[in-house]
Amino acid sequence: MSESSIYRKPVAFAVLATVVVLAGTIVTMAYPMLRPELHPKVEGLKPLSPLELAGRDVYQREGCVNCHTQTVRPLKSEVVRYKGNRAPEPSGQYSLAGEFAYDHPFLWGSKRTGPDLAFEGWIKPSKDWHYAHFEDPQKVVPRSNMPKYAFLRGNALEAAKVQASMRGLRTLGVPYGDADLAAVPAAVEGKTEMDALVAYTVSLGKAVNRAAAGGGDVDLEAPNPFATDVAAIAKGKTLFDANACSACHGDEAQGQEGVAPNLIDDQFLGASPDLPDAAYFAMIKGGSDAKKALGRPGVPDGGMAAFGGDLSDDDIWAIVAWLRNQKAHEAAEGHPGGH
Amino acid sequence: MNDYRYDYQTVQGFILSAMFWGVVGILLGLLISVQLWAPAANFAPYLTYGRLRPVHTNGLIFGLGAGAIFGLFYYITMRLCKRPLLFPRLARVQLWLFNAGIVAAAVSLLLGQTQSLEYAELEWPLDLAIVVLWVMLAVNVFGTILKRREEQMYVSLWYIVATVITIAILYIVNNLAVPVSLGKSYPLFAGVNSANVQWWYGHNAVGFLLTTPILAMFYYFLPKSTGLPIYSHRLSIVAFWSLIFAYLWTGAHHLVYTPLPDWIQTLAIVFTMFLIAPSWGSVVNGYYTVGQDWTTMRSNYLTKFFILGITFYGLQTVQGPTQGLRVVSQLIHFTDWVPGHVHMGTMGWVTMIICASIYYVVPRINGTELYSEKLANVHFWLVLVGQLLFSITMWITGIRQGWMWKATDEAGKLKYTFMDGVIGNYPYWHTRTLAGIIFAAGMVVFVYNVLMTIRKGKAAQAAAGSAPTTVAA
Repeated sequence: MSESSIYRKPVAFAVLATVVVLAGTIVTMAYPMLRPELHPKVEGLKPLSPLELAGRDVYQREGCVNCHTQTVRPLKSEVVRYKGNRAPEPSGQYSLAGEFAYDHPFLWGSKRTGPDLAFEGWIKPSKDWHYAHFEDPQKVVPRSNMPKYAFLRGNALEAAKVQASMRGLRTLGVPYGDADLAAVPAAVEGKTEMDALVAYTVSLGKAVNRAAAGGGDVDLEAPNPFATDVAAIAKGKTLFDANACSACHGDEAQGQEGVAPNLIDDQFLGASPDLPDAAYFAMIKGGSDAKKALGRPGVPDGGMAAFGGDLSDDDIWAIVAWLRNQKAHEAAEGHPGGH
Repeated sequence: MNDYRYDYQTVQGFILSAMFWGVVGILLGLLISVQLWAPAANFAPYLTYGRLRPVHTNGLIFGLGAGAIFGLFYYITMRLCKRPLLFPRLARVQLWLFNAGIVAAAVSLLLGQTQSLEYAELEWPLDLAIVVLWVMLAVNVFGTILKRREEQMYVSLWYIVATVITIAILYIVNNLAVPVSLGKSYPLFAGVNSANVQWWYGHNAVGFLLTTPILAMFYYFLPKSTGLPIYSHRLSIVAFWSLIFAYLWTGAHHLVYTPLPDWIQTLAIVFTMFLIAPSWGSVVNGYYTVGQDWTTMRSNYLTKFFILGITFYGLQTVQGPTQGLRVVSQLIHFTDWVPGHVHMGTMGWVTMIICASIYYVVPRINGTELYSEKLANVHFWLVLVGQLLFSITMWITGIRQGWMWKATDEAGKLKYTFMDGVIGNYPYWHTRTLAGIIFAAGMVVFVYNVLMTIRKGKAAQAAAGSAPTTVAA
């Protein structure tokens, strides 16, 4: 065999082997790092809040990445499954490189034993759902194989630890200011790791607008945060009037024949039974487009406008609180609203 | 002090350590396989799937894998350089540091200290320890090679040198981080760049911890065990250089359809396809080597380990590139197909060759014969059946799961919920646990056989009242 003498010269051999392995290393790893396309940032990207960051640390510590991915691929069925198809901009339908600029490291994962979580903040914005789920997953999702994380409730957050994390990330270029650090103790006061993990989970995917134009992101299990809040109920009535709701639905929301339905009977969108508060919330926020998500026919083409652009979520919940109060009031008076 | 006998005890120390961590890692694998279908088997906070899975992977890659690499690299280097190690004491210190490091690594992972980077989970203090261990390996291997008494460097030494250099580069770059406490750091790289660096590392950790070192063993121990010379030296040369060249371009095939720029994905896919050629260079070389006398398959119990091992390497290196193609990746990526693929490589190729190498080395170190060839055959069939059952089960359920995720009706609505897919996994996950039990049983037989061989050697020495003889290279 007339092989070259390099197999007799270990130093030359080692140098050549190094050069050979560096070729691909430089072209596919080092060189891309110098290009802006590996450092994109979506407009308005904000670093995680102290509570969310503490939640991300918990997410890392518990190895959530072993079972959950955080990247929605641009595949039709995947976009539908993770509700990217609600996004107003086509580019928002799947995960964008620019969403992860502050992710040290990326948490895309490699295995979906559980579902992808990249858009979780849009898909399941209900914190209550997540609290219940982390506490006892099988209670919420029968036959799920996720471990229980109830113990996180017993672990209080330490402001100093969160600040250390923020300082570490700041040296890496994540824009945390002194004011952000100073705000940490107040932000994590009395909070547990469970609060942090829930806050992080519902923050996922929020850097890009993936809200349904029609309020289709309704979580029917979401409770009304102001259900029995007297001040909110009063505010709801004011808003009901101020936004001319009564013009169609009547002064007391009893509806007007042929114009708009009664909102305080036991029906909703022309069918029985009634639906939970969140359905009313969705209809107000998204207008008639939300009906499809609610699975109700209603009037063809509908006439309900979307108020999501005009009213804050809290305002909408206040209106719902007033409607429900009104309904209870009518029931107590014993004369249901006319049809 | 500087003689073969002392160094062989170090080699054997690494081998026994690797076997110990191998058994621990496999038992943890069984536990996490149960946790997938029985969530009640999670014991929060320390023994949940999320914390245990990295202990399983790191325990086997760094405990079994690196332990075997350290021990067998030293053995091969000494034989091929025709001299003892240059720094025998250093190797002995390395052995103790290695075991202490694995213990610390396991504890830190159970405490939840992790960088969340696959196969680079360990936090910075342990990263530093691993760098120290690797430098110790480099110093001894390079030193011994430089002072060798055989001018020509054989193929196995090429793979050893390439392994030592490349792992050093990969490991250091991917673990660059800013520490915020003893158990927590934030990696230097972020987002899409962090993904690209991680999978450049991740794929090449497979390449240079689970491929090139195993090829070094294969090229040395196959001819040694069978007495048959490697079929083609020229093919060895071509396969070596093209393999170590092409491997480093391919990491991004783990990121197909992610937000990573398409050109990096495509380049990786192209080089992944090319990688079939050098991989099969070694496969063909292995087959033709044994092809010089196929009767050794029957007459020599070790031949089948090497032939089945290289066969799974061949299957692995065709299946892997196929998975890299976009049309395949979109279906099987993120599903249980992937653990099926990984375990064919680790159970069928890596462990098979490491075990065969240990079967070759341990009797020679102890101046005796293997305790029982019959048990070695039992070991062989158990691990073969266990691995096949494992992989095939996972491939089937992976494809099933991928289809269920994709299935839509005419209106474009999804046919199945995510939970439908999970529930469909349960019977396959049960079978996988069974497969793991069969595999683990095989490994227990292996460990028993090796320990009894050492005992037999000791008994023989005691009877003869003399030091073990060293079998010539």
